[in-house]
Amino acid sequence: MGPRAPGGDAVTTLDERPPLVDEPEEPEPPELRGLLAFLTSTDHKRIGVAYMVTAFAFFLVGGALAELIRVQLYSPNNSVVSENTYNQLFTMHGSIMLFLFLGPFAFGLANYFVPIQIGARDMAFPRLNAMSYWFFLFGGITMVGSFFTSEGAANFGWTGYAPLSEVTRSPTLGGDLWIIALVLTGLSGVLTAVNIVATVLTMRAPGMTMFRMPVFTWNMLVVSVLVLVAFPVLTAAGAMLFADRHLGGHIFDPGGGGSPILWQHLFWFFGHPEVYILVLPYFGVVTEVIPVFSWRPVFGYAGIVFATISIGALSVGVWGHHMFVTGAAQLSYFAGLSMLIAVPTGVKFFNWIGTMWGGRIVYRVAMLFAVAFMLTFLIGGITGVMLASAPIDFQAHDTYFVVAHMHYVLFGGSVFALFAGIYYWFPKVTGRRLSERLGMLHLAMTFVGFHLTFLVQFWLGLQGMPRRVASYLPSDGFTTLNRVSSIGAFLLGASVLPFLYNAWRSWRRGEPAGNDPWEAGQTLEWATSSPPPPHNFDGPLPPIRSNRPVWDLRHAGQRGAAVESGG
Amino acid sequence: MRRPALLLASAILLAGCDVPSLGMPDPVSKEGQHVDSLWRLFVVAGAIVFALVVGLILYAGIRFRRRNDDVPNQNAYNIPVEVIYTVTPILVVALLFGLTVAAQRKLTSTNAADPLVVEVTGFQWGWRFDFPAQHVTVQGAGEVSPPSIDLPVDRTVRFVLRTDDVIHSFWVPTFLEKRDLIQGIDNQVEITPTQLGVYRGRCAEFCGLDHWRMPFDLHVVTQGEFDAWVRGHPGATP
Repeated sequence: MGPRAPGGDAVTTLDERPPLVDEPEEPEPPELRGLLAFLTSTDHKRIGVAYMVTAFAFFLVGGALAELIRVQLYSPNNSVVSENTYNQLFTMHGSIMLFLFLGPFAFGLANYFVPIQIGARDMAFPRLNAMSYWFFLFGGITMVGSFFTSEGAANFGWTGYAPLSEVTRSPTLGGDLWIIALVLTGLSGVLTAVNIVATVLTMRAPGMTMFRMPVFTWNMLVVSVLVLVAFPVLTAAGAMLFADRHLGGHIFDPGGGGSPILWQHLFWFFGHPEVYILVLPYFGVVTEVIPVFSWRPVFGYAGIVFATISIGALSVGVWGHHMFVTGAAQLSYFAGLSMLIAVPTGVKFFNWIGTMWGGRIVYRVAMLFAVAFMLTFLIGGITGVMLASAPIDFQAHDTYFVVAHMHYVLFGGSVFALFAGIYYWFPKVTGRRLSERLGMLHLAMTFVGFHLTFLVQFWLGLQGMPRRVASYLPSDGFTTLNRVSSIGAFLLGASVLPFLYNAWRSWRRGEPAGNDPWEAGQTLEWATSSPPPPHNFDGPLPPIRSNRPVWDLRHAGQRGAAVESGG
Repeated sequence: MRRPALLLASAILLAGCDVPSLGMPDPVSKEGQHVDSLWRLFVVAGAIVFALVVGLILYAGIRFRRRNDDVPNQNAYNIPVEVIYTVTPILVVALLFGLTVAAQRKLTSTNAADPLVVEVTGFQWGWRFDFPAQHVTVQGAGEVSPPSIDLPVDRTVRFVLRTDDVIHSFWVPTFLEKRDLIQGIDNQVEITPTQLGVYRGRCAEFCGLDHWRMPFDLHVVTQGEFDAWVRGHPGATP
């Protein structure tokens, strides 16, 4: 406890007691450096960085697959890749982005920042934390490595619908490796979620009540609960599919009396909470970034926390909207509940706007990415309400409209916010700022490239282009819009280059950050050095009397600073 | 609180008549009309929400950009505003939900009197169309010469959807209708074509290697032409 220990002089401490026997002094293990230090560490910051770097590497792999997809679709009747290869490409693109990038990157951010934001020295279970990372890494290697088996990777789509994914239709080893990778990364997610819940509930610094926690930490708590609800179902479904494939089970096999639709119920009972598992952390990031650059407290703090909890609660009851066209889902129930999610999501938008309102907005790249996130994700949200309406979904389902919608949510939403988070927190992690000029270039390329790629796909889908098609015909009339989309995708792919260069250069010789490079930090990570010392805080923590103790300390005695509890 | 919602509702209903379809094909079936009008209402509602929120973001983003180094106001709550921006979306969503339920009741009913029954069977990677009353069967595969059937205009067709193997999905984009073919689930859709023409259908559910090579053509023709088409098949009884 160190600097925060209450009492002090009046308490007899154990150190004053003479040792009973002379124990031989254990030699200090030599301090490890470089890669070995990372590989053997249980420090939540090192594990967090390892998560983020690994996840970003998988993002590059998944992005490369997406570029190949867009090359193939550039022209009708194209044969740059074979149908079988194409089916592997989109299966692995989806699986990598969802299971190996967005989720694990969020867990990386959470690993690094949740303990610091609540004033803790580490996660509750540091060794379990390290083990989660290793499960994730080897799960990821299992999944990507399946490309190197003789028949290639899984090719039945990231949703793995039975009976296509049964052994008679997809006999390759890639399918098995895909299932094993799901189980490994799922286990990693569950262990991390347990760790985050335990950390948030038990390790908060004195004064850090639940309703003074930073919104990012709140969101990670809700996300972790969702992981605990959803991931075991996916693991169970994966085990059932594996039993079907290798142990003679007939759970999803209609030939043996099994039920193909059961897979969809199980998969989407996981799959819809999963969407919020991949989005809520990044809502949290945006809710950290906007107040700091607006010089304002987050507007409607309690409202935004309850909105997060409502989204989490509703998200476990809406899986049927992925199944409207199966004829096996109750339409009105799932339509109504799905549309209702628009309400707390809308509330968040008004919270973010309310935070900017009346503020003093400083436009750094992090803030611009947050604004770009709002503008882009809004389209994902509106088209989501459209898809929640079953009659519209009858037309739009399984088309490029859905492809566009989900990229507006998971790229326009999550990835834009993720980059906002990187620009915001990079100085804290490395001690150096990212270049703003390269950041502007990165932002502009990402924004233009993204909308070029995905906006036209709404039209493509409504006009008749199904998703997951390896090609199309010249007579279909899809050529022009596909070309626009592909050109956008090449620009979007190129946008990571200035970012990678920026990260590499700034990490080596960027401008030193200091404790609080934004000069308006609110949460506890800005009270410590950049990068933080091994146990996060060398000095005493600032007093925690509101949800922004660092701001209160800086503006003590001024208008708006918390004096008593609350804010 | 209720007034903006009412205004929004009436704006949606008024504007629903003449708005761009934003890529949604013009429906060529009676049932498709219901989807089309619902879609246009959603487009209007979406456009209003989009304009409002983008307007607020851009206004706040420009108006409150940094001009000096004064510490801005630090108000973190405004309960009336928070109530309004929570209740208004609930009303909008309730309205859209009501419209949705009304439209889907019309779409999912399969009780037309004397429909033309067509049994559609999907397989990897093609289609079989059986007309049980007419004793006509059409089967085909491939994108070069896809299977093609005739349907009489202005008569309700009941498509009975079945699969021999994996899941497929029966989709005719200009009918604005789609339904899966799944073993163990009896799906049926009723469609009444209202315009003569040739309409391309596709498999919408990913079904393996040649998923993209599963188009089919529906020729909507007059009753007389349909009868002639039926008679052209050996053993048929029009």
